[in-house]
Amino acid sequence: MSFLSLIVKNPFRNRTRAVLAILGISIGIATIVALGMITDGLTASTQTTLSNGTAEITVTATGSNAFSATGGTLAENYVTNILNISGVNSTAGILRGITPAAGTVNGLEVNGINSSQINLEGIAITNGTNFADGSNQVIIGKTIAPVINKTVGSTITLFGKEFTVVGIYQSGNIVTDSLAFVSLTTLQNLTNAQGKITIVAVKIDTGANATNVANNITNAYPNQLTTTTATQEASLMDKSMSGINTASAAISVLAIVIGGIGIINVMIMSVFERTREIGVLKAVGWKSSDILIMILGESIILTLVAGVVGILLGYIGSEGLLAFFSTTGSVIKPVFTTNIVVRALVIALVVGILGGIYPAYRASRLPPTEALRYE
Amino acid sequence: MSKNIIEIHGLKKSFDKGRVRALRGVDLEIKKGEFVSIMGPSGSGKSTLLNMIGAFDRADEGTIEVAGIDLMTTKRLDKFRSQQIGFVFQLHNLIPNLSVLENVEIPMLRTKATTKEMDKRAMEILQLMNFPNLSDLVKQNPTRLSGGERQRVAIARALVNHPSIILADEPTGALDSKTTQMILDLLKDLHEKENVTLVMVTHEPDVGAQADRTVYVLDGKVKEKET
Repeated sequence: MSFLSLIVKNPFRNRTRAVLAILGISIGIATIVALGMITDGLTASTQTTLSNGTAEITVTATGSNAFSATGGTLAENYVTNILNISGVNSTAGILRGITPAAGTVNGLEVNGINSSQINLEGIAITNGTNFADGSNQVIIGKTIAPVINKTVGSTITLFGKEFTVVGIYQSGNIVTDSLAFVSLTTLQNLTNAQGKITIVAVKIDTGANATNVANNITNAYPNQLTTTTATQEASLMDKSMSGINTASAAISVLAIVIGGIGIINVMIMSVFERTREIGVLKAVGWKSSDILIMILGESIILTLVAGVVGILLGYIGSEGLLAFFSTTGSVIKPVFTTNIVVRALVIALVVGILGGIYPAYRASRLPPTEALRYE
Repeated sequence: MSKNIIEIHGLKKSFDKGRVRALRGVDLEIKKGEFVSIMGPSGSGKSTLLNMIGAFDRADEGTIEVAGIDLMTTKRLDKFRSQQIGFVFQLHNLIPNLSVLENVEIPMLRTKATTKEMDKRAMEILQLMNFPNLSDLVKQNPTRLSGGERQRVAIARALVNHPSIILADEPTGALDSKTTQMILDLLKDLHEKENVTLVMVTHEPDVGAQADRTVYVLDGKVKEKET
């Protein structure tokens, strides 16, 4: 027998307690792993979006922004007027409206656009065809399609009018893939917004600077138009991701604290029950540091096993959870990386050290005579 | 038997901030290879004396030299215990989740011995303990053994590091008379074969009488000696 094998064996003397301790800590680790996988997946999804986006600038009426604007807030002639501004390559007017749809909580966002300009939204038809201008045809994103239970050939009522789903598209962007696109004129007629749009999507000339072109647009129409560049969108996304990451970190810290308290409790109980044994070990010549290493090692073994169990639980849990909530499951693919495994094991190690240090110190300081007298 | 392996003069030890005076000036000399029993009523200080010899605790006053080491000044009491002392307790204090062999190896775990060397030495010592089916027994957990068998394993554990002194605190206190005699015979045999000094605390006169010499402790002092 080696010292290491003794350390590995000892935590499992009381199997029920060891299993419960491992389970308690592994739930915390599983939470960290699952959150890590989901946030990493979300980040990857966002990054895909930004690299695929073809319109570099989004123009809206002053007082609104690219994310929140809806309705006919801009005159359609801005689409041609902006084309004359230096650095602008092409433009597309988009009208946004929201209509109730079965399966959605807040309704379905419908975008009206000329069919030839859908490339400015970075979308590609994956099944079926594009809609025809002036028709009652609609294409829907791959995320929202299963939610509203529609596929190519289905009919759907939008703004009180029946539409035929002619295509399913994909953009790689969770937001864009949750929309529906119809002909601009059709939507304008349905929503009484003839000659109105919500945003102008602007593609800039090759080599042009998006910020400079955006400034040119706002300078040309002061107090009328607001611009959001792809970089600003990325920054806004980053802020959102930063919020999610902060929440994730806070939950991780909580898991560590709870796990740490759990392991302190388990190890104190273990030391308490083994007081006489610790006395014997000292009596046969073990140093205080040997006792400290043994108890600390046992704590680390417990948490590392919990770490491995937690990684497995977290992996299964995040996959299962997103499969269950298919609304997002089709777009956010949980990303399982070595980084997550290392992070989980490092956290387990830290919990093991922090949780074990006090019981180990207490055990190492036990005077042999007192420990041997313990009943 | 020639020079003293244990020399104690004016040894004092108090507990509970001086309220309990366990040893009140003990003088004791034990020769190398001697078998000495320490007797006395409960609370007389005999176990405290044994603990002082085993360097489990430091005395408050006096001098105590064991195997040539001044226990009042040496800093490495753990090293002294590991190299010089083998301790046998009244309750065997074996670790329940370890096998018999692993229990005997415990004192060697923090030495430089390899696993192979530890196995070899533990088997050698266990062979001296007169177990009938040793090869089966070494794999068993101590919880499956009888009281006498457990105490023999505990004695093997005490001897595994080749100590110069065995300290036994009521080693037969929890055993029946037949097993008591068997353990005493074993201790005496090992004492002779391994030439170790044996110091045994007991309150049983029959047990104490089997030593070369009996020392009586009363009210924290050695009151009487018999040869």
